[in-house]
Amino acid sequence: MSGTFLRAFAFMLAVVAVYAYVGQLLPQFEEHPPVKKTITAETPNAELAQIGEELLRGKGGCLVCHKVTEAGNVRGPDLRKAVSVAASRKPGVSAEAYLLESLVDPEAYLVSGFPKMMPSALKPPVNLSLAEAKAIVAYLQSLGGAEVTVKVQAADIAAAKPAGAQHRGKTLAAQYGCLACHKVEGEGGAIGPDITKVAATREPAELLRKIVEPSAWTTPGFQAGVMPADLGRAIPEGERHEIVAWLATLAGKSYSATGAASPWSHEGVRLGLVIFLFNAVMLLALAIAGRGGRAP
Amino acid sequence: MPFAALARLLQRVRVMSATMVLKGTYKGVLKISLLLVATYLVAHALASFLPAADYRALPFLGNRVAVWIVAELHLMFAAFVLGVPIFAFITEIVGVATKERRYDELAREFTKLLAMAYTLTAVLGCTLLVLLLVLYPKFTAYLEKLFKPTWILYVTLVFGEVIVAYLYWFTWDALQGARKKWHLALGFLVNLFGTALLFIADIWVTFMMSPAGIDEAGNLVSLWKAISNFTWMPINVHRLLANVAFGGAIVAAYAAVRFLNAATEVEKARFDWMGYVGSFITIAAFIPLPFAGYWLGREIYQFSEQMGVSMMGGSFAWLWILQAMLIGSLFFAANFYLWLGMGRIPGAERYVKFQVPMMLVLALGFVVWATPRSIIATGPEMSAMGGSHHPFLGLFGVMAAKNTAVNLMILTTFISFMLYRRGNRVPAVPWARAGKIAQAAAVALAAAIVLGYGVYSYYVPSNVRIGFSVYQVLAVLGAMAVFTAIDIPMLKGARQIGAIQWGMIPARAQYALFFLAITFTWLMGLMGYIRSGIRQYWHVYGRVADESAHAYTMTHGHATLIVSAIVVIFFLMVALVFAMAARYERGRVPEAA
Repeated sequence: MSGTFLRAFAFMLAVVAVYAYVGQLLPQFEEHPPVKKTITAETPNAELAQIGEELLRGKGGCLVCHKVTEAGNVRGPDLRKAVSVAASRKPGVSAEAYLLESLVDPEAYLVSGFPKMMPSALKPPVNLSLAEAKAIVAYLQSLGGAEVTVKVQAADIAAAKPAGAQHRGKTLAAQYGCLACHKVEGEGGAIGPDITKVAATREPAELLRKIVEPSAWTTPGFQAGVMPADLGRAIPEGERHEIVAWLATLAGKSYSATGAASPWSHEGVRLGLVIFLFNAVMLLALAIAGRGGRAP
Repeated sequence: MPFAALARLLQRVRVMSATMVLKGTYKGVLKISLLLVATYLVAHALASFLPAADYRALPFLGNRVAVWIVAELHLMFAAFVLGVPIFAFITEIVGVATKERRYDELAREFTKLLAMAYTLTAVLGCTLLVLLLVLYPKFTAYLEKLFKPTWILYVTLVFGEVIVAYLYWFTWDALQGARKKWHLALGFLVNLFGTALLFIADIWVTFMMSPAGIDEAGNLVSLWKAISNFTWMPINVHRLLANVAFGGAIVAAYAAVRFLNAATEVEKARFDWMGYVGSFITIAAFIPLPFAGYWLGREIYQFSEQMGVSMMGGSFAWLWILQAMLIGSLFFAANFYLWLGMGRIPGAERYVKFQVPMMLVLALGFVVWATPRSIIATGPEMSAMGGSHHPFLGLFGVMAAKNTAVNLMILTTFISFMLYRRGNRVPAVPWARAGKIAQAAAVALAAAIVLGYGVYSYYVPSNVRIGFSVYQVLAVLGAMAVFTAIDIPMLKGARQIGAIQWGMIPARAQYALFFLAITFTWLMGLMGYIRSGIRQYWHVYGRVADESAHAYTMTHGHATLIVSAIVVIFFLMVALVFAMAARYERGRVPEAA
């Protein structure tokens, strides 16, 4: 048996080695995520166009369908001509406005001969901010040899799109009634203190303790015992972490919504119940079968 | 009390010992229970002990490679434990229908491999869960919260699967004869639970690829929409078919080992036949697999043109050339095995003359399919070619040529199998000649449609061309259906030239079976990487970014080395399963005596 096994194993290694070798013959390259560039209202035009080019080639994914050199893709219009034709596309719409519209709302005007397939640059999966879309417009203007006229406003520079669990903290704080008494960023009640920056002076562990044990401390100037003692315990553990993660973000800190304690303690109880149930039923079935076996 | 009722039922049908059956089944339940409890405790302890972080780093291997290896091994074993029961159930039904005892024994032999494979699948799944919770806590917590109802359902189904699978195994001898229908019902339940488990696991995987049902902040808006996302059903179907093919390939490899090690002619005949049935089910499930793949590809494009283009024409384009090489090799190996098998069929020498033309079609198809389209050429190379693509070979690198090639290869393999099937038989029905002409016409028409659309594809835009692949596929499937529909009544009562001489097959045919299993496994590893890799630097494509240090797409060389390592580890673990099954068999000998 061992001889057969060794031969089969050697054969397997040889076949796998051939496939691995062919893998080494393919073109070798790594692709890294796009580097985050900071755009401000003061970013010079030349730098804005440069950032725009990087966004167009990377995060924007524009070259999947368009081309900026002779050898590119032709699923969408040639971007080298974008500026020269932009002014005449829609009567009364400037070239800059048209280019921005074609990024933000691509279906507002479809170039003849091209299908509807481009997603809005501001929505997933591209997820550009308005400032980033304007940077691409700046690049397209410079690519077409035109003057860069697009201007980034402070309001265009939105924070990165929320992603992941910690960003549910605000919704949860409202859902569990925290904002009925506490003010956050100017919104909420005034019965308790403003907690917008509470995480700047308190550690996450202290905040977590305060939620489940309101008497842990009282902010000077506020009456003790007002916060309901059982309120925080009604909030699932994982969601308490998310609220604290949100408060940390407001104070300019970062705190993972998971980590120190398992976020799935409630799941654990349910899991335990399922395990218990199946074991109990099987044991009962065994007992009944055993009793039946002893019967004459 | 369903289990108490089951215990009473077992007593009523006078199973030799209901207590023994339930004891054996309970061992399986206890094993899974202990594993789950250990997983929960370890994950909980590590999460509490380690400092809070969005990502944690695993030394040596790194997070991504560790999760990749464990996830892929878990998936391969899961494919095995889901594919083998489907295989066993079909074989058992064939046994009942044909009243041939050997089919029942074959199904039993396969099922024997399951107990150990279940344990390994569960251990790998639990390890994967711990790795995800510890190394990617924030993202795992996000997914866990999003799909909370599915986790408990999944665990419940795992217990259901284990219970019915153990009952299926332990009641094999007792539920024979008039009670066989109860055993078949258990086999059906094993597959029902297994398929449900697959579908649930696919929810999590496909949501990461093509998210739906969440708002822009990632909050759940509709659980059903998140479940029924673009790629969920295509992946369900693709994996279901692939599991059957994979299960068959592994069983055929098992039979090949046993054949090579057989001490008697009887044993050789038994394992030769087992290898044939394994390879037959592999090929039968493998043939529709590319069609399921087309569907999946189309849904990926529907979800995101950008993702589709990255997959087929961007970063991952070269891996499809590797995939073409692997699938081409599978076609070669399957046909080679059938042609070698014809040597033990009296009368099959009538069809040897077709082998060379079929080989030519396969070789040409292979060459066309493996022709790359987008080669990064240097300036002098481009000027020599007169453009970015070769003036002649460039014609074969496009999907128009590749779809044509693969459809013709599928058709050729199908014909190969049908010739094998009728090797020792001569139709006795009076309309045999007309039937054969109709079969030949169906195949010729399908080949003409495939070729015709292939050539016409060059003259139409890409959005029209993509629709042609559907007609090509339908032509091939139609020809296969017509051919089979004529073949079955035509061979009824056929005159036999001689009995198949099972066991009289060269050893190299067994290596063809190994080759099928190894290549199929490597292909699964590669396609798993492409499926997961096309998310690029996203955990959930376009919604939750991967902000870890491993969020880059590695080189193809690096990726293929990891796939190779996974395949080697997998086969070492499979060898362990085979060894345990052999040990169990040796342990049963005195009992049987």
